[in-house]
Amino acid sequence: MAVFESTEKMYEVLGGLFTGLMNNEEVLAKVLKANITIMFDITEPKGQIWLDPNGGGVICGKADLKPDVTMSLSGDTCHHFWLKNISLPVAIAKRKVKTKGPLPKVLKLLPLLKPAHDAYPEIAKANGLPLK
Amino acid sequence: MTYNDLNIDLTDEQITLKRETHKFAKEVMRPAAIELDMLADPEAVINSPIYWDVMKKGYQLGYHSVFIPDTWGGMGLDPLDVHIVLEELGWGAGDLAIGMCVGCFPAFFSSMVPNEKLIDDIILPFCECEDASFIGCWGITEPDHGTDTLSPGTEMFTNPDITCDVKARLDGDEWVISGQKSAWVSNGTVATHCLCFLTIDPAMGMAGGGICVIPTDLPGVRKGKPLDKMGQRALNQGELFFDNVRIPKDYMMVDQEAYDGILDLTLATANASMGAIFTGVARSAFDLALDYSKKRIQGGKPIFEHQMIKHKLFSMFMKVEAARALSRAAFVYNLNNSPPLTQYSIASKVFCTQTALEVANDAVQIFGGIGLSKEYPIEKIFRDARASLIEDGANDTLMITAAHLF
Ligand SMILES: Cc1cc2nc3c(=O)[nH]c(=O)nc-3n(C[C@H](O)[C@H](O)[C@H](O)COP(=O)(O)OP(=O)(O)OC[C@H]3O[C@@H](n4cnc5c(N)ncnc54)[C@H](O)[C@@H]3O)c2cc1C
Repeated sequence: MAVFESTEKMYEVLGGLFTGLMNNEEVLAKVLKANITIMFDITEPKGQIWLDPNGGGVICGKADLKPDVTMSLSGDTCHHFWLKNISLPVAIAKRKVKTKGPLPKVLKLLPLLKPAHDAYPEIAKANGLPLK
Repeated sequence: MTYNDLNIDLTDEQITLKRETHKFAKEVMRPAAIELDMLADPEAVINSPIYWDVMKKGYQLGYHSVFIPDTWGGMGLDPLDVHIVLEELGWGAGDLAIGMCVGCFPAFFSSMVPNEKLIDDIILPFCECEDASFIGCWGITEPDHGTDTLSPGTEMFTNPDITCDVKARLDGDEWVISGQKSAWVSNGTVATHCLCFLTIDPAMGMAGGGICVIPTDLPGVRKGKPLDKMGQRALNQGELFFDNVRIPKDYMMVDQEAYDGILDLTLATANASMGAIFTGVARSAFDLALDYSKKRIQGGKPIFEHQMIKHKLFSMFMKVEAARALSRAAFVYNLNNSPPLTQYSIASKVFCTQTALEVANDAVQIFGGIGLSKEYPIEKIFRDARASLIEDGANDTLMITAAHLF
């Protein structure tokens, strides 16, 4: 059984996670400075989540943008990645995540994503999602 | 000759990057590497101010951090930019280029799993370093295991009878490490930090590995003598011995869960870089031969005017261009896509190192007798190229590893 029962639920949880972060001025400033448009291309449930520093903010669903970095992964891998149950290199090594975009930009994202790692366990708990 | 770049999309910044790196390669690296190559004792190389001057200048220009994102103070270059830099560094001196490149391994890997400890202890100090006082190395091969350590995905890689001598066991919050890495570890005796590939779970064979950073000033670490070898003499190499060395848990970045996959990623990056560097080495041999052929008079005219020499030079030129085309394509693809298509990086490494050797060999022939002497750097380049066919994996076995991916 997939962690997210539907695309809508995934958008609610992950979209909420990112929107919360973008409302944090410190995080927003770093995201703007990095200036990287990211697309999470998710399967099971199918969906797309975009982080666009150039005005779009957090977009759940298809968007007419050009990503600098695309991460293709399942909803379950997304969940475990934000819970820090799996690191990005390990997820890549195990073929659970595919990234497209210059490696330095992918690596640049990692420290930016830290606040998401910090915030996610609470959000997952509040939504009744498994923590292991 | 300065080559014509066939990429019509190069930006002004990339053209400037190429020009600036070429200047460093020509004015600093090449003369330093020639002098260091002439020192009979490899210990003298690392005691020479020439070695430290070139390293320091390289660090000041940021070349030590070409692979690291600018978030941490690295150069933060795009993959094509990195290829351009590596080719030029290789043009200057293959041996010093390798030393500079592998020096970033501990910090580069740390930037893939940037926990607080690795950020503070490794990534930031390395990127900030301007005096080459923070140098990394990649300790993977061992006296009894060369090819064995570099064959992920092959049958022997999961044979429990074949494991690393260097092993790690967890003891509370620390990993305890013992064993020996080979005399071939590049930067081995000057490194302040080793990115060590070792065995955690012997039952899984080589696949039961781990990857960690080991500061070489920890109790229990001992270094061997600098290795005396045929080519790439400005590249320091030597053994590392670990006797119950204790590192914090956070320094183990990868464990047996994903070791073979990460080794595959490592090979993809390292071999793609070798392709770029040895395209530069091949080009340097071609440039020297072309230049010499226009000066050396035989039969009453420059030997360049003889059809046979022109023919040979053109064949060398074609090989260099083919090497650049393959190595750029493989490098740019694999540093833009994870997981990478490792077979393309290996194809690049094998093809470009073989090309470097063939072009350097033809260049020596064009120089005639003087090509064998120390008067021109072509004999050094020939020896440097020869070593590259074994470096980062022997070409023959790398090809077999890559073919497993078909
Ligand atoms: C210049 C240079 C720099 C290097 N830098 C580093 C470094 O930074 N860090 C590090 O750890 N190591 C380094 N090395 C070591 C290098 O990776 C090894 O030398 C290489 O992997 C080959 O291992 P080996 O020398 O033990 O040869 P072996 O593995 O003993 O191979 C000997 C021969 O047998 C063949 N062979 C081996 N196994 C098989 C098989 N299963 N099937 C068929 N044929 C086989 C090989 O192709 C080769 O021709 C460096 C080497 C050189 C020359």
